[in-house]
Order: sequence, then structure tokens, then C-alpha cells
Amino acid sequence: MSAPATEPRTAVRLTDLHHAFGRRAALTGLSLTADHGEVVAVVGLNGAGKTTALRVLAGRLRPASGSARVLGQDPARLDAAAARRFGQLVGSPLVDLALTVTENLRTAAALHGVPRGDVGPAALGTLDRLGLAPWAAVRARALSLGNAQRLAIACTVAHGPDVLVLDEPTSALDPQGVVLVRELVRERADAGAAVLVSSHHLDEVARVADRVVVVHGGRVVGTLDPGGADLERRFFAMVLAADESAAAPGSAS
Amino acid sequence: MTSLATALRTEALAWRRSTVQRLATPLLILLVPIASVGMTALARSGAVAGTGAAKLADYATGDLATTHLVVAGQVLSVAVLMAGGFGVAAAFGQPLADGRAGAWFGLATPRGTLALARCLVVLGWVLACALAAVALTVAASAAAAASVAEPFDPTAWAAAGRALAAGSLGAGLALPFAVVATATRSPLATVGSLIGMVATTQLVVLLGAGSWFPYAVPSLWTGTGGPEAAAAIAPGALWLTAAIAPAACAVVVHQWRRLTDV
Repeated sequence: MSAPATEPRTAVRLTDLHHAFGRRAALTGLSLTADHGEVVAVVGLNGAGKTTALRVLAGRLRPASGSARVLGQDPARLDAAAARRFGQLVGSPLVDLALTVTENLRTAAALHGVPRGDVGPAALGTLDRLGLAPWAAVRARALSLGNAQRLAIACTVAHGPDVLVLDEPTSALDPQGVVLVRELVRERADAGAAVLVSSHHLDEVARVADRVVVVHGGRVVGTLDPGGADLERRFFAMVLAADESAAAPGSAS
Repeated sequence: MTSLATALRTEALAWRRSTVQRLATPLLILLVPIASVGMTALARSGAVAGTGAAKLADYATGDLATTHLVVAGQVLSVAVLMAGGFGVAAAFGQPLADGRAGAWFGLATPRGTLALARCLVVLGWVLACALAAVALTVAASAAAAASVAEPFDPTAWAAAGRALAAGSLGAGLALPFAVVATATRSPLATVGSLIGMVATTQLVVLLGAGSWFPYAVPSLWTGTGGPEAAAAIAPGALWLTAAIAPAACAVVVHQWRRLTDV
């Protein structure tokens, strides 16, 4: 799929999101954007608010305040045309453990709006692209953790989305799988897709992202240049500075 | 319409492969004819005495084939509710409990449409099982009647029709448990509420208020409470019972459209 010529450059926009689970604040004014053709990596420590923000972006969580827009629409209520261009893998994937790999891919393609006649080719193409052909007839519940993650990603991209949201997509993959996903993400972005990907692996992020956004304490505390040296040191320095700023007398938070 | 057709195709495939379906289908289809023919044979054998004989007394006399199919209706009206209830507990409660339902967000096929398709697939499955169970009972009953030179006459066919209708009504009564599954996000809580509803129905019937209580209507209509209780079921009560399924579907679709924090 390709973006209409007149479409705004920004595909994804989160604005001043606030949300709490009980008394624990998960999002404290988080804002970020991703443009078409751009890979934005969201990095942060555990509990920083990355997944919560991506759940809002996937439409799975209604924030207490703030707004989320995917292709200009509320992600919880995307119309069919926008939904056909959207793919999200946040938490559990669109995979039925009782179905085979091929059946899962066909199901995912169909539910993502691929026309009935194109479902087979779309499933087959994605099967090959993610290196899943040897397991085509295997039930999803029999897959290794790594291949299950490949299948999850395959089901998310089978329709060629223009906006792609991936939460920790390489956490269970072997080095070959990591490279495959990196190439896939880059391909989608080069084809004009906006890709938002969260990760703990800073070196991995540096290889694929155009922009690295650091989330800490439920908000964006800065951006990092993925091409610069010693990304890990700069990341921790930014997190530490955010903590010191929050702890300083007179700080709003 | 296209998205509903897509949802029906994908949900039908998923349901065909589900463990609950694979276990419940043979149980439901075989239990009804075995119970119907077996209980009637037991009632007429004289082998059961005391309280058991009193409970089986209604089956000890009368036309053999008709009795088989009356029993089939009585068993079926409860069995389809239980099977359908377990079905929606698995189909709706499990994906919400383990988070898989989150993948239904942001799809070109709206999640309300997917929920409706899931309701229709489970309902269609229970109805198909009810039809198969009645057909098998008719075949077994015809064979049993022929073996003792008894007829399989129009009253038996009428009893078969009532058994199928009662089974269909009972199947529809399972759909409100999809509402419970969605609200509680727990298959166990759904099964618990199903058991609670069966117990409540017993109490309502004991208190004599069953003729307008939808969960008692199919069973009473097939004669579980005796001929008088069956005759007391008004057409309006049958329509009220039949209305439960579409109402539950509408509520489930609304719930899934508004779903959040998944």
C-alpha cells in the first residue's frame, strides 16, 4: 500500500498523554510523532511507559487525557480505509495457536483487509519474507519462541502497512531473525511507512532507527542521534538528567 | 457485509480447530440419543426401584418413539445451554484473559464485527449439534421401535420437532454468557455464572415462576415439569426466550466496540 500524494507527512501523533494504573502514573505528558518514511525507536527502562504509549497508539488503551492520532484518526476507531494501512504488534499477536502458520497468515491478511483473491499470495510472500516456509504447515503452538515471534511479525505486516507499531519485536529472535526484522522495518520505511518500534537493545536500535526517542517516567525526556558514538552512555546520561531534574526543588513532578 | 463475511470465515476456521469444539461436539451429539434411548429402556425394564423409578415413571409408558424424542428434548434443552456456555466462555473469555483480544484492535475488520461473527459461529455450531443429535435420536428411536414392532408415527415426529425447537432456544440462551465473559474477562467466571444460572433456574421452577423465566422455558416446554407445566408455556414466553439471543448479540457487539485496556 502507498500513502495518498496529499497526505500529511506526520502519520502518528501522540499529544500530552496522561494515564495511571491505580495510583501509579504510567504516562505523564508523553508526546511524540512519527513521519512517513521514518523509523522512530522508543527506548527506555522497564516501566518507563513505552508499552503503555504503544497500547494507546494501537487503540487498546484509552488514555485518561491527551490525544492519539494514526493517519489523522483516533486509533481506537479507525475507519476501514485507515485500518487497512495500519499494523500493530503490542503484546499478544494476531495468532491463533491452534492454526497452522499458513492459516494464521491467511487469517491475518484477510482481517487486515487484503482482498480475498490476494490473501493467498500475501500470505505466501510474507511466509517467505520471514523465513517461515519450512514451518508453513506447523501449528503455531508447536513453534519455538523465536519462530513464534517471526510469525507474530509476519501476521502484523502481511498486508503491507503504511503505519507500523512494534513493541520489542526482536526480543526472542536469533541473530538471523534480528537481521530479517531489521531489513523488513527498513524496507517498510523506505516504501513510505511510518514505523514506531520500542526496544531495550540500543545497539540494535542504532542500526535501524532514524530517530531515537527516550521515554522515562511516562514522558519523552529527549532524543538521541542513532549515528553518534556510545549510544548507551548518552542514553543513561539522559535518563539520569531527567531523574535529577524531577528530584530538584521546585520541580513540577 | 464483506467484513462480516471475512469475520465469519476466519472465526469458523478458528472454532473448527478449537479444543472446546473438538471435545463438546461428539459429547453433545452422542449424549442425547444415548440418554434418550437408554433412559426410556431403563424406565421400561423395571430394573430401577424407589426414588429412581419415580423419576423415570413418565418414561415407563406411552408410545416408545415419542417418549425417546420427548426425553431427547429435555436433555437437549439443558445440554446445548451448557455446551454453548462453555463455548462462549472459551471464545470470548479466554482471549480477554490472556491478552490475545488486543490483536483485534486496529484491524480492517472491526472488532464489533468479529465479536458478532464469533457469536454467530458458536450459535451455528450448537444448532448444528442439536440438529445432528435429534437426527441421530430419530434414527436410533426408529430402529428401536422397529425392533419391537412399534410405529414411528406423527406424534414422534412432532416430539422431534419440539426437541429441535427447544434445543434451538437453549442454544440462544448461551449467548448472554458472551456478555458475562466480556465483562469479567474470565472464562472461569463465565462458567461459574453459567452454573449459577442453572441453579437459579431450578429455584425459580421450584417456586412455580418458571413459565416466564427464559432459562426455564425450553426445558418446561419439553415436559420436564410435567404436562401441565408444559401446557402453561405461552407463545409469548417462547418468543421472549427466542429474543434473548439477538439481544445478547447486540450487547456483545456494543461491549467490543467500546472495549479498552486490553
